Amino acid sequence: MAFIEVENLNKQFIIRKKREKGQLMRPKEEISALREVSFQVNQGELVGYIGPNGAGKSTTVKILSGILTPDSGCVSVDGLVPWADRKAHVRRIGVVFGQRSQLWWDVPIADSFALLKEIYHVPEAAYQARMGELTEALQLGDLMRTPLRLLSLGQRMRAELCGSLLHSPSLLFLDEPTIGLDAVSKLTLREFLQWENRQRGTTILLTTHDMEDITALCSRVMVLGHGRKLYDGELTDLLARYDTERIITARYEEEISGTAWPEGCQIRRNGENWIITYAPKKIPTAEMMARMQQAGHLRECTVQPQNVDRLIARMYQEMEL
Amino acid sequence: MMNRMRSFRTYGAIFRMRRRMETQYRGAVLGGVVCQVFFGLVLIAVYRALYTGNPQPMALSAITTYVWLQQAFFRMLLASDPDLMEKIRTGAIAYDLCRPLSLYGYYYARILAQKWMGSLLRALPMILLAILLPPGWGLAAPASWAALGCASAALLMGLCCVSAMENITMAFTMRTLDPRGVQAMMNLLMMTFSGNILPLTLFPDRWQRVITLLPYAQLLDAPIRLYTGEYALEEASRILAIQAGWTVILIGIGAYLWRLNQRRLIIQGG
Amino acid sequence: MDTLRLYRKSMAMLLKSQMQYPASFLMQTLAQLVMESGELMAVILLVDRFDHLNQWTAGNLYFFFGLMSMTFYLTECFARGITGAFSGMVRSGQLDTLLLRPRGVLTQVLCSAVDPRRITCIAVGTFSFGLGSRLSGVAWTVEKALIILESIVCGFWLIMGLFMIEAILCIHSVKSIELANALTYGGRSACEYPIDTFPRPLRMLFTVIAPFALVMHVPAAWVLGKPLFGWPGWTAAVTPMAGIILFGVMYLLFQRAMRFYRSTGS
Repeated sequence: MAFIEVENLNKQFIIRKKREKGQLMRPKEEISALREVSFQVNQGELVGYIGPNGAGKSTTVKILSGILTPDSGCVSVDGLVPWADRKAHVRRIGVVFGQRSQLWWDVPIADSFALLKEIYHVPEAAYQARMGELTEALQLGDLMRTPLRLLSLGQRMRAELCGSLLHSPSLLFLDEPTIGLDAVSKLTLREFLQWENRQRGTTILLTTHDMEDITALCSRVMVLGHGRKLYDGELTDLLARYDTERIITARYEEEISGTAWPEGCQIRRNGENWIITYAPKKIPTAEMMARMQQAGHLRECTVQPQNVDRLIARMYQEMEL
Repeated sequence: MMNRMRSFRTYGAIFRMRRRMETQYRGAVLGGVVCQVFFGLVLIAVYRALYTGNPQPMALSAITTYVWLQQAFFRMLLASDPDLMEKIRTGAIAYDLCRPLSLYGYYYARILAQKWMGSLLRALPMILLAILLPPGWGLAAPASWAALGCASAALLMGLCCVSAMENITMAFTMRTLDPRGVQAMMNLLMMTFSGNILPLTLFPDRWQRVITLLPYAQLLDAPIRLYTGEYALEEASRILAIQAGWTVILIGIGAYLWRLNQRRLIIQGG
Repeated sequence: MDTLRLYRKSMAMLLKSQMQYPASFLMQTLAQLVMESGELMAVILLVDRFDHLNQWTAGNLYFFFGLMSMTFYLTECFARGITGAFSGMVRSGQLDTLLLRPRGVLTQVLCSAVDPRRITCIAVGTFSFGLGSRLSGVAWTVEKALIILESIVCGFWLIMGLFMIEAILCIHSVKSIELANALTYGGRSACEYPIDTFPRPLRMLFTVIAPFALVMHVPAAWVLGKPLFGWPGWTAAVTPMAGIILFGVMYLLFQRAMRFYRSTGS
């Protein structure tokens, strides 16, 4: 049996809409947040979970972490049913919501950690060892006596991670952990997650809109849309399906005009740069290059794949999300 | 002169916008009204019990009327603008400095609109309800039509007066980092000396001679006494003059404080 | 035992965080003092004008006022999580965070706030209670002291239970929860005066639904030597239990609401 087993998960919400004129009660509307979602995750995997806003990602995370009860379906995490054995289950998981804090605002973070130790019943020796490890990996040593409110966003996120991991959970949920972070903080955070995953074999489930998080961390990715699972597999395979375009940026020595570009490619001009988007399957790259040579004296040119965010946007579009 | 007129029109627009905003929270208003009615009933029950066997110069119906009118216009006394307080605290008030208006006039219009609409929305259903209650519990009729007219005029004056008072508190708020303590004190003074906790008519008679002259008594106590006829019609002009006097003084103080604030804000850059 | 330990640790931390702003804390504590004194002042002024309320003398009235004030503000001080922050936690989704930890939700709510500013209100209440007992000439015995202690403890549970109504309504996403205030703050304001002050409907409300009368007035009247409704002495020891029963009922309703919450995810 896999570490996380999810089978035919269904969840509906009843939304009460605003009352319109002439209606006594507010009309109800049922929205399926999850429809027949099934998947398995093995111990030690690092899985990305993506989908547009409102796709059902956070509903899944809430069910897996025991906050919500599904309408139907089976879930087992390390042998426990999250909503039925809530206390036993949450002892073994850690959750970080990027937009919500679980630490106390006005006290030094060390005090917050000490209280969490109390809440999770972490034995003193284990706590000391774990804290030593985490403060070093997250570079929190100098910040321990600082109240949370005085920390920068990046420092705060590191403190949140420390708080979620100090009871050594075997499963970690991350909900948009890098939101609003600067480049350095993002990189530090990713490195840490990789370290935690390798070092301790912690299973990590990551929801995010930042595709760089996914490409850097996850080999496996699940796509969710309208409550259905649409894809589950290697990220590279998924991207390959939509990665059908190349972009050439070219500069010419002289002003060019009147060039007949091949059918089906898009040309845009940005200052001196010509930006040409084309599909190599329809127009072979060799032909494209030949045309460009004919147009004038090429000073420089680069060929790039399509930006990952665009691929995802195209994927969502094609899946009609 | 033209300029003056134009800015008055602007304040009018601010007033109308805030007034519309106040009407949006009908659900909250209903809950608030029911709660207020409940408090009114409790208070009246206590006064009724106190009156049995303790005859008083003031009729019981005057007390119940006093309580209902206090409850109905309770909203007028409350600090009305939490988001303005928040603005001051976070420094977002710097935006308002960019507007081509005097800060005092801008806030005065806002506060007045909120108090006017906020209390009217609550007062009308409560007064209706209080009229329907059995005698000895409910709201008695005014002493006369003329008394009702004078009371209404005095209530409008009271509204202008309380808005001026709140604007002063607001100006002070800008100078302190944590205004909650000061606000609590101001609130207490307001609730005690405006007759909300205990009708001013039940305070010891000697005290009343002083506290009825305070600005707090001008807000609701004076109009209510005109309504019940405790202040005779002949006194109406004197009452209105006291109210107007306080309003002018308070607006003067408030405008002065805001001018100081404005200067300080510009120098310190918020 | 374990819960108590967590409560103690949480309180220590919360106190520390409040002391980060000592000036503001001092100012607010003072403001609380003035506010509660104002409430007491109103009673004193009423007594000054009316002399007595039914069978109750001035001293008796201070006694009732003090008992209510002490109990109510003790609850507000030590159970601020439930009396203050609870419904806000439901609305902001903070409740989710509590569900992610291996402790009872209510325990965590209780551990989430403390309000030491109320200490001045408790002091005013204690003063009024002492004054009332002196003026009423209460001859204190161990029995009487125990009964009052019981009344305060049971009142603590009663008030917590009443404040839970708002959170429960919030979970069921009911609007206009201000109505719940009629029972909590309304109950406090009304039941500063003995229950026989009120006409029948209000008397029923504060005896059966929000049993302030059973928890506070019955034992207090017995201690003052003027038993309510002519009930025998032993009732003074039994009726305060109503507070604990009310809390129990609210606890069960809360558990049900939590099941609803976890299946609707409001």
